[in-house]
Amino acid sequence: MDFRLTEEQELIRANIREFCQQYLDPIAVEIDENSRHPQEVFDRLAEMGFMGMPYPQEYGGAGTDFLTYAMVVEEISRSCAGTGFTFSCHTGLGTGPIYEYGTEEQKQKYLVPLCKGQKWGAFALTEPGAGTDVNAATTVAVADGDEWVINGTKTFISQGTFADIFIVFARTDPAAGPKGISAFIVTKDNPGLKVGEHFRKMGIRCSQTAEIILKDCRVPRSDMLGKEGNGLRMAMASLDNGRIGIAAQAVGILQAALDESLKYASQRIQFNKPIGRQQAIQWMIADMATDLAAARHLTYHAATLKDQGLPYTKEASMAKLFASEAAMRHASKAVQIHGGYGYMKGQKVERLLRDAKITEIYEGTSEAQRMVIAGNVMR
Amino acid sequence: MPDIITCFKWAVDEADIRPQASGEVALDRVGYKISEYDRNALEAAAQLKEAHGGSVTAITVATPAAKKGLKDALSRGPDRACFVNDAAFDALEPAQTAALLAGVIRDRLPFDLILCGEGSSDLYAQQVGPRLAQELGIPCVTYVNRITLEGSTLLAERKLEDGIEVVKVELPALVTVLPDINTPRIPGLKDTLEASKKPVQSVGPGEAGGEFPARLQTVALRATSMERRCVRFPADDAGIRELVEALRKSGAIG
Repeated sequence: MDFRLTEEQELIRANIREFCQQYLDPIAVEIDENSRHPQEVFDRLAEMGFMGMPYPQEYGGAGTDFLTYAMVVEEISRSCAGTGFTFSCHTGLGTGPIYEYGTEEQKQKYLVPLCKGQKWGAFALTEPGAGTDVNAATTVAVADGDEWVINGTKTFISQGTFADIFIVFARTDPAAGPKGISAFIVTKDNPGLKVGEHFRKMGIRCSQTAEIILKDCRVPRSDMLGKEGNGLRMAMASLDNGRIGIAAQAVGILQAALDESLKYASQRIQFNKPIGRQQAIQWMIADMATDLAAARHLTYHAATLKDQGLPYTKEASMAKLFASEAAMRHASKAVQIHGGYGYMKGQKVERLLRDAKITEIYEGTSEAQRMVIAGNVMR
Repeated sequence: MPDIITCFKWAVDEADIRPQASGEVALDRVGYKISEYDRNALEAAAQLKEAHGGSVTAITVATPAAKKGLKDALSRGPDRACFVNDAAFDALEPAQTAALLAGVIRDRLPFDLILCGEGSSDLYAQQVGPRLAQELGIPCVTYVNRITLEGSTLLAERKLEDGIEVVKVELPALVTVLPDINTPRIPGLKDTLEASKKPVQSVGPGEAGGEFPARLQTVALRATSMERRCVRFPADDAGIRELVEALRKSGAIG
């Protein structure tokens, strides 16, 4: 398989790289320390047409392919994995379901401002008692005249504190099991929606994660997303898509681990020579570069399958599994190469190690990915 | 509404240059980019067009491999590009580049103003701009860090060593710009996607007229190296004298 980038893709990569060096690198330590959402960076990204980039121009997107989008997630994450995640989570999970399953009216009303970066999207699936076991969700929606009334609590909702449009999954038929869950579009001005506290996290600290409480939250029937009872299927398909974004984020972390390690190994002098001349360091760097290449190929492969309209569930899971575990392994090695300096706050590798861990957990844990992969190869 | 031509060079990206252990510099794995100050010239042209209308044409003289640079240039604001290319153009010296540009511009591209970067990121000879003006018989203003256009009159601020000189020149003219003139934009996604749709006029091998035999030959390319030595001197008067003497001997102080 050939992933030689087109001239356009190479230019887009160079431009987003330059953008990140100019606007994101200088604030990355500060937004991590203060758990601050860098809205100013996203305002610029929106102005430059990156928000909503893989969606058609008629809906405010740029109409690029998914591979180009994955490359952009990778480059932003190389600079700041938290910012890369917010970009990917908004574009993938927060926007994708409305594009895939929304009515034309819903697309005009919600998708267009999401693609233009004028509104933020969030995907509210996880519950305190329903993580990997999505079907254990207890949030319910009951029909009442022209409305649905939703009650329940969602947790670990990314962009939760500032999102304008939430895609909320709730059980509409308690007897129907996995086929009894439906999706709804809920806006933040709904009086029945309360945003709980912003969780303090180990890594990707500039990403805002919050609890969402739905209490007698009334939404018009016209704001049901997709068909009644189809929610779980939609959620799973959206997660397949989102996993390419997380794989790309992990590839960005891996690239940054390699960048930093190469730089430090050539500068740090011990025993009268750069530590990079020691075989012990060379082997770590060789393994890092090899896993980076493999992770990138798996990720671009999954994105290319999606672009070609072919099934990509298994490949997205493989990419996410391999890239996230490689990111964790090599972020740790990057700290090791930096020695004591790498353990200090403010060093990029210290942040990379904290940021890498979440890629093994969210949008499907490594264990969930192995379930998906096994289910696909053993049938 | 001025018709502006902006010249750019597709040059080695210095960030990719890695010296080998032998001290040689290999250029076989480097990337290329629009020469740094030429990006300022492209930006200046885009800003003038935004303010006054008119048109912008980007032009480069290069080997066919520089085709990649056209989309990059076009994503930075020009309406069209002119690509003067020949495989023989890989070692042009500035007088040849200027002659080629002049020939193509004279024959094919009407203009009011030509913008160039003050010098290229690789050779920094600072000759193409002034020589091109000379060939075309138009005034040339160098070291410019500010341009104001009033009708067919151009006011340019020249940043010189001992002050700022403001000159007034009637168009047509050529201006070479310094990096202080602006901060080049980072092209947005749509700028890049739309660049592919803009017209490119290709002036192929033999069409530019004249012979351009290679006159420049790179004989060697070596990285500067830093020698590290660890020498200890006692912290007393004699030691300090020894240190000064050692520095003097090594040529570090005069």
